Amino acid sequence: MKILHISDSHVSSSHFKKKSLKIALSEIKKKSYDLFVHSGDLTQQGKLDEYQKAKKFFDNIPIPSVMVPGNHDKRSGGISLYKNFIGKPSGVKEIHNAVIIYVDSGVADTNDGRVGMIKYNMIKDNLKKHQTKDIKILVLHHHIVPTPRAGRERNVLSNAGDLLDLILRYDVDLVLLGHKHYPNVYKIENTVFVNAGTVSDIKTRHGDVNSYNKIDIAKNRIKVSIKRINESEREKSFSRIKKTFYYNFGKKICRIAHLSNSFISSSNKFRYTHFSKAVEKINNSEIDIVVHCGGIVEEGIRRNYELAYKYLSRIEPKIIYTPAGRDINYLGYHLFPEYFGNLDQNYIYEDILFQGVSSSQYDSPIGIIGRTERESLLREIKKRKKDFNCLFLHHNVIPIIHSREKGLLEDSGDLLKQIVDEKISLVLTGTSSHAYAVKIEDTIIVNANSLSSVYHRSVHGNSFNFIDIYENIVVVYEVNSLWGTRRILGMWAR
Amino acid sequence: MELNFPDFFKKDLPIRTFISKKLIGVTTDCSVQDAAKKMVEFSISSLVVLKKDKVVGFFTEGDFKKKVIAEGKSPDISVKEIMNTDLINIDINSEFKDALKEMIDKHIKHLLVEEKGKIVGVLTFIDFLDVQRQKIETFISRE
Repeated sequence: MKILHISDSHVSSSHFKKKSLKIALSEIKKKSYDLFVHSGDLTQQGKLDEYQKAKKFFDNIPIPSVMVPGNHDKRSGGISLYKNFIGKPSGVKEIHNAVIIYVDSGVADTNDGRVGMIKYNMIKDNLKKHQTKDIKILVLHHHIVPTPRAGRERNVLSNAGDLLDLILRYDVDLVLLGHKHYPNVYKIENTVFVNAGTVSDIKTRHGDVNSYNKIDIAKNRIKVSIKRINESEREKSFSRIKKTFYYNFGKKICRIAHLSNSFISSSNKFRYTHFSKAVEKINNSEIDIVVHCGGIVEEGIRRNYELAYKYLSRIEPKIIYTPAGRDINYLGYHLFPEYFGNLDQNYIYEDILFQGVSSSQYDSPIGIIGRTERESLLREIKKRKKDFNCLFLHHNVIPIIHSREKGLLEDSGDLLKQIVDEKISLVLTGTSSHAYAVKIEDTIIVNANSLSSVYHRSVHGNSFNFIDIYENIVVVYEVNSLWGTRRILGMWAR
Repeated sequence: MELNFPDFFKKDLPIRTFISKKLIGVTTDCSVQDAAKKMVEFSISSLVVLKKDKVVGFFTEGDFKKKVIAEGKSPDISVKEIMNTDLINIDINSEFKDALKEMIDKHIKHLLVEEKGKIVGVLTFIDFLDVQRQKIETFISRE
């Protein structure tokens, strides 16, 4: 199946490069495409004249097409015009043995995105109904995982974590997105996420040119080719063959206990029994290193730090820490180094570098690392040229299930891209209080639930993670803080 | 047999969304003791037996009890001798309630999951119980 994927045409009298759109659309005549996809922002302001103009371009596409509205299309009440001029904003299309589910993710008159409960259930019901299809494709405007070179990462879909989980659980093959005007492709587990750049808006990012994507889905491979207008193509190819069986683990190198949000205090928000049972489990589980990804105390006051130091001293293996915002609030900025050491800690165990980076800011749940720090950090890790390394921070770099995107880093798009490009083996985070683990290309990203706070979001109760690194395979478990029982969260070949 | 399921199980839940899609296995020459160690190490209750990445058998912790301990066999025998070769599978596109009925009807706690003739996952009885855990947690924290 061959797909021509464009996005963000921004047809208007001010922002629009007609020539670029014509070049992209002329591609249809060159190859035998099966599907044309426009992933939103057809117009600039959602106005009548813009829709009239856009209709002329998109009305006569000679192949099956799927289009969704973007945030710009819903400005000025544009959703009514969208329905009149373009068609249904959400729906399902079947082509041969493929199903394409498309949804409107815009929120009128803002740049934010959201897939509301009715549309979320529509996606779920259709994925269920069409689960036997050979190819399952989802199309929406807003990006689901942070995209690089996109500036501040604040307006992802509010329920991106839920959507990401749904996509992975239903084995969706391909997700087509737009919004950020920068083309990018990631494979997350077995799903390929393709962001298109802008096909014809003058507003490109970082001096980039307009672009579109050519996608070819075969039985065993998905090829995505980003075609920058008047420039060469860049192709990425991904296997569709899933690895199901794991048996040759090799020697065990290291077991990590990955904790977050202990939330230690004398208040009833801290669950002492859960904490104590977890400590007991850690001390009896041959742990080589404990990584605490922030949220040590409920608030950064001395009384809490004294208590936290006393309780965490009961953990026998080496512990390394990174702070959350709440750890450095009030006096915490001074107390953290006094009780637990540097803000950016590192440790080497069996030739594996565990590098922490403080992503927290005073009085804010929002995290940021910053370009200078990010580049220096990645340079240090790269210098070691080892085949396995671990970065740990408090804020999550991918959206987490059942949580709004508040835990994301402002610069998570760029951080994620650098992590993936540099093939950082393991990234440990600790926001949003839900255990989650996925592999993005060569990088395993693991988020920890709250160890012992009443504020957790998991049906499995408070928990922490064990991460076992073998010669050939990495296994991540979620361990219940109270019961000590564990379940496999993920398993990947190294 | 017509089963009267609690409301939760009446929902149309595709097993695709709950099963483990990554299976831990052993090769046919693995001893029963090493296989048991593997189950303990990974905290799992079943293993697939593989020959050149193809499933040739399956066994669960119940098989150790019935076919090794109760019969007084040595833990050094190979898994080949106790594995089930008549595999009980369910299609990945099945519903949760169909899988549960299959387990109850056949008195088993594990089902291998297949897609287009290939084994792609395993569903265990624990997967059904997991969803009830939140209620237990909430009860404990109230105490």
